[in-house]
Amino acid sequence: MKRLREFGWRAASVAVGLGFLGLWQFVAWRRFVNPVFLPGPIETWNAMLDGFRTGMLGERTLATVQRMLYGWVVASLVGIGLGAAIGSSRRARDYLAPTLEFLRPLPSSAIVPVGIAFFGLSNAMVIGVVAFGSLWPTLLATIHGFAAVERRLIEVARMLRLSRGAVMVQIAFPSALPDILAAMRLGLITALILSVVGEILAFQGGLGSQILEASRAYRSPELFAGVLVLGMIGLASNLALSALETRLLRWRAPR
Amino acid sequence: MNRQTAGGDVQPAGAGEALVSFRDVSLTLSGRRILEDISFELKEREFVCVVGPSGCGKTTLLRLIAGLMFPTSGAVHYRNQIVRQPASDIALIFQDYSKALLPWRTAAGNVALALEAIGSPKAERPARISALLQKVGLAQYAGHYPSQLSGGMQQRLQIARCLAQDPTVLLMDEPFGALDAMTRQVLQDEILRIADSGGTSVFFVTHDLEEAIYLGDRVLALRPNPGRVAEIFDVRLPRPRDQLVTREAGEFLQLRRALFDFIQETGH
Amino acid sequence: MRWKGLVLPAGAVVLAEACARIFGIQSDSLAAPSQILVAAWGLLRDGSLFAMLGQTLLSALGGLLIGGGAGLLLALVLGLSPVLTRLLRLPIEALRPIPSIAILPVFLMVFGFGYRLEIANVSFACFWPSLIIGQAAISGIEPRLLEVSRVLGLGFWGRITKIVIPAALPRLFVAFRLAASVALIVAVTVEIALNPQGMGYELMSAQSSLRPEVMFAILLYIGVTGWSVNAALLLAQRRLFGRAGALPGAVPGEAA
Repeated sequence: MKRLREFGWRAASVAVGLGFLGLWQFVAWRRFVNPVFLPGPIETWNAMLDGFRTGMLGERTLATVQRMLYGWVVASLVGIGLGAAIGSSRRARDYLAPTLEFLRPLPSSAIVPVGIAFFGLSNAMVIGVVAFGSLWPTLLATIHGFAAVERRLIEVARMLRLSRGAVMVQIAFPSALPDILAAMRLGLITALILSVVGEILAFQGGLGSQILEASRAYRSPELFAGVLVLGMIGLASNLALSALETRLLRWRAPR
Repeated sequence: MNRQTAGGDVQPAGAGEALVSFRDVSLTLSGRRILEDISFELKEREFVCVVGPSGCGKTTLLRLIAGLMFPTSGAVHYRNQIVRQPASDIALIFQDYSKALLPWRTAAGNVALALEAIGSPKAERPARISALLQKVGLAQYAGHYPSQLSGGMQQRLQIARCLAQDPTVLLMDEPFGALDAMTRQVLQDEILRIADSGGTSVFFVTHDLEEAIYLGDRVLALRPNPGRVAEIFDVRLPRPRDQLVTREAGEFLQLRRALFDFIQETGH
Repeated sequence: MRWKGLVLPAGAVVLAEACARIFGIQSDSLAAPSQILVAAWGLLRDGSLFAMLGQTLLSALGGLLIGGGAGLLLALVLGLSPVLTRLLRLPIEALRPIPSIAILPVFLMVFGFGYRLEIANVSFACFWPSLIIGQAAISGIEPRLLEVSRVLGLGFWGRITKIVIPAALPRLFVAFRLAASVALIVAVTVEIALNPQGMGYELMSAQSSLRPEVMFAILLYIGVTGWSVNAALLLAQRRLFGRAGALPGAVPGEAA
């Protein structure tokens, strides 16, 4: 019975969503808003399909996703590795934590001009910026996670005479995993954003170019199609990492 | 005092000899004297309970035996060697059991951790794990996560993990304090059985006076500020103990009286 | 123990300065710490710092108030109406993943360069965290309190003003604090990407005109601004709410 009610609500929500789409289409059709600025949903959808059919949109999507993933994977590996080392050592934390805390609120996009200064307007620059930007959440969360391991578990490990390595792998890492996964999710979003920013600034193609060029030429269906694809990438990333999180963190008590 | 040099070889203690001995042990932390001139012995196959008001250092005594803390003066010996680090055959059961279990491993996994730590051969592990879970009555819950177990079951799981070390000495820090009365009684009898069948010495910290008399061969009563051994009571009740019979025995009631009086005198 | 944290940055600065002096490199992308400090002082003295800071902060604040405010308002409405929450679940989940940078060219098309562009984009970016965390704040209200409001016979408005808002206020402030840091970050990002005003623009400008000492000086100011705003709000939170405002286990890392 409960299942049916849940389904009912879901269906109602979908209906509301479709309703909004309908409203949007209506507004576009009746030209309440200048059609140059606001294409209808159907126009947008067609523009997207056309883009993929000609291969242009597909190429750009691939470029953006590639940069996003390369940078994010590198950043995550470095973040976890470095974070584990720093988080496990009281001394390292004492010396490094204040500096890291100060750097935390810095917008990672601010590193773009520094990146340009060193790497020029290149693909390497974009990936570098993406990696740098998505490093911070993971690094900080890993440090925090490793530093905040339940004291009791450390004592259990001492009683069992576990080696330092075993403590890090068997106790600290699983304990820090929830924080690390949540931060990696944030890191992926950051990676996407920086990828687009980098593309806009460095003329590196990708979806960044798609939306920028379209907006400059007032070709709103193409622009909205690009936005739609970016939204879908964001959604897919979120769902994928959420699923991973659920799978890895099965053991958590139901909240 | 964190000398973490490796401990020496373990020499078997002779029959009736002390396994653990405290000689004039004192401990000062942050300027406060926690323990003063503690001297006593824990013998083989002995069940010693420690009682005393809050803050008298009962848990500290336990942690000194465990090798998690070290005395400021005096010496703690295990098998005639100074305790410098946790020994592989001393197991510690913590009071906050939920925090002492790995939440991301199943019950079987938690027990496996101890077996991994002592380097038990992989092929033997599954059999040993189910035997241990069987012993504490958790055989059906091998695949459950700690968050899915009740308080009593979690405590039993901790006991199972500790038993995986094949301990000669079992240290227990108010293990049943957070459990309801019924579960407590069941686990009291279980621990008596386990200690008896394994020939294990037990050092049991509790604030429940009746529990101390019921379980122990001797009861160590501590006086607080600073913690000192005030009196050691011998418990001459017959074994095996029984929740009804033993608790009604004359000797039990006398000891109970004596302990209650002692606690009254030493304040709260 | 505080001094330990200064060792690394102080050491790095000294090392950088030493390298610059010893090697005496003339570079388009690097600058010695002493040069950076001189440039920073210059920006302060001739007032250009305040000009760019003002522009950025104005846009950030505007966007925060509009977007953050709208988000919190909607959170309040949804918090009071479980029906509406369920109905709007899909549209919200569908729109949420759109990165704010993606919507920027749309606003560019509509507004062209300037304040409106930035404020619109910041509003979009601040709307979502305000909404989500605001919802969490309201749904986290102790149900007992709502029962009490019923027993006391408070009307609809009474319930909102006397129970709901005060109870959710600590967490709502946390939502505000997070939205504020998002606002600053997005404002700077918009300036770096497109908008010819504010600190982000000056940063890019310094780089492209090959004045690395000015670039790093502005970078420093951006960092200090972000840190100060954060610290100020945190202080305000502690003062206003004390322990009541503490949220368990907030995930660190908001640089974006």
